[in-house]
Amino acid sequence: MKKILLTNVLFFGAFVLLTGFSAAASPSVCIECHGGLSGQLGEIPTAEWHTSVHSRSRVSCHDCHGGDPTDYVEAMSADRGFIGVPVYAEVPAFCGRCHVGVEEDYRASLHGQVVEFGGPNCVTCHENHAVQVASIDLINEISCSRCHTYDKPALIKQEISDTEAMLSRLDNSIASLYRVGFDTGQLKDELFSTRNNFRRLFHSVDIDKIRAETAGFDADLEETKATINALEETLGQRKIVGGAFVLLLILGGCIALLIRRTYENKE
Amino acid sequence: MSEAPASANERRTFLGIILAAIGAFAAGAFGWSLFRFLSPVERSGEDSQVRVARDLVAIGGVHFFAFQGRPAVVLQPRAGEFVALSAVCTHLGCIIKWVDETQEFLCPCHAGRFAASGQVLGGPPPRALDTYPVTLEDGDILIG
Repeated sequence: MKKILLTNVLFFGAFVLLTGFSAAASPSVCIECHGGLSGQLGEIPTAEWHTSVHSRSRVSCHDCHGGDPTDYVEAMSADRGFIGVPVYAEVPAFCGRCHVGVEEDYRASLHGQVVEFGGPNCVTCHENHAVQVASIDLINEISCSRCHTYDKPALIKQEISDTEAMLSRLDNSIASLYRVGFDTGQLKDELFSTRNNFRRLFHSVDIDKIRAETAGFDADLEETKATINALEETLGQRKIVGGAFVLLLILGGCIALLIRRTYENKE
Repeated sequence: MSEAPASANERRTFLGIILAAIGAFAAGAFGWSLFRFLSPVERSGEDSQVRVARDLVAIGGVHFFAFQGRPAVVLQPRAGEFVALSAVCTHLGCIIKWVDETQEFLCPCHAGRFAASGQVLGGPPPRALDTYPVTLEDGDILIG
């Protein structure tokens, strides 16, 4: 008994140590140094980054700013690919290294064409270090009115709101199906792809283009919805069959009790 | 005129038959569910192979099509050599596009890069693109 207990304790200890070491094996020297600095070079961006979708997706400082996150001395060396902070007009290219498709549509838009003259770049709407998963709420009067009237953004928001609401509903349905054990990997991928392409569309800020192409996205979402409905129907059937099975077991139990009573009466 | 009450043995036999019927039904339902769970996913036979005309795929060019309801691509990296791949990025499921200049695939969502063979060249994709078997038949490319 003692031997088993000792083995378990050793195994648990080895697990804790190994996971601890693996976590410590990939520190970011960027956070270690800048996290201790004050202001815009330190605590503010690091605290903001910790709240961001980039942090949740393990996109760290060096993925955008370059450099070597494992070497204190060479972390900010150009030889190790350090870029630092881009100038204002170069922000779209900076973000576009990963967000290729969105950059393409933004570049073709009115916003993208005036970025050299101080027009909005990515962080104007999305923030920089505190960047979150984009939502329709980013189009709002306070934000858009910093540069122009809200008439056109309001029209765009109205045009895309139904599709965005559908995206959100389907996202929730997929999450629910996943929670009860369905394999939703392909559905999630399909929805992500449709959402990404749809978000590309409204980066064009071209109301006519958005009107013309939104129907295509709605049709794609209807297909995804049909698959989700089929899975939900299966789930409903399973619940009915499960319920019936439980009732049968209860009925079987009752009959077993009655059979037992026939023996008791005999005695 | 009243009938004599059933004896304990008769009651027991009757209840035993009902219990056996319930047990058989429950076992059948359970067995059927288990069988359905362990059975492979049914796929429709009509999409199991796709025929693409060979002249649609130029040397160094690509042709996108649907395979089993999912986007796929066939390309001809060298004369007479055809490769069929899933066109769905293995990172988050976006549809990849072909970049002629670099002869590689690029995912527009997060810049995942794939070689013409489907291998990951860079970016966040965790694994290579899925590949499909290709055969040539009567001047057409048969995929699947």
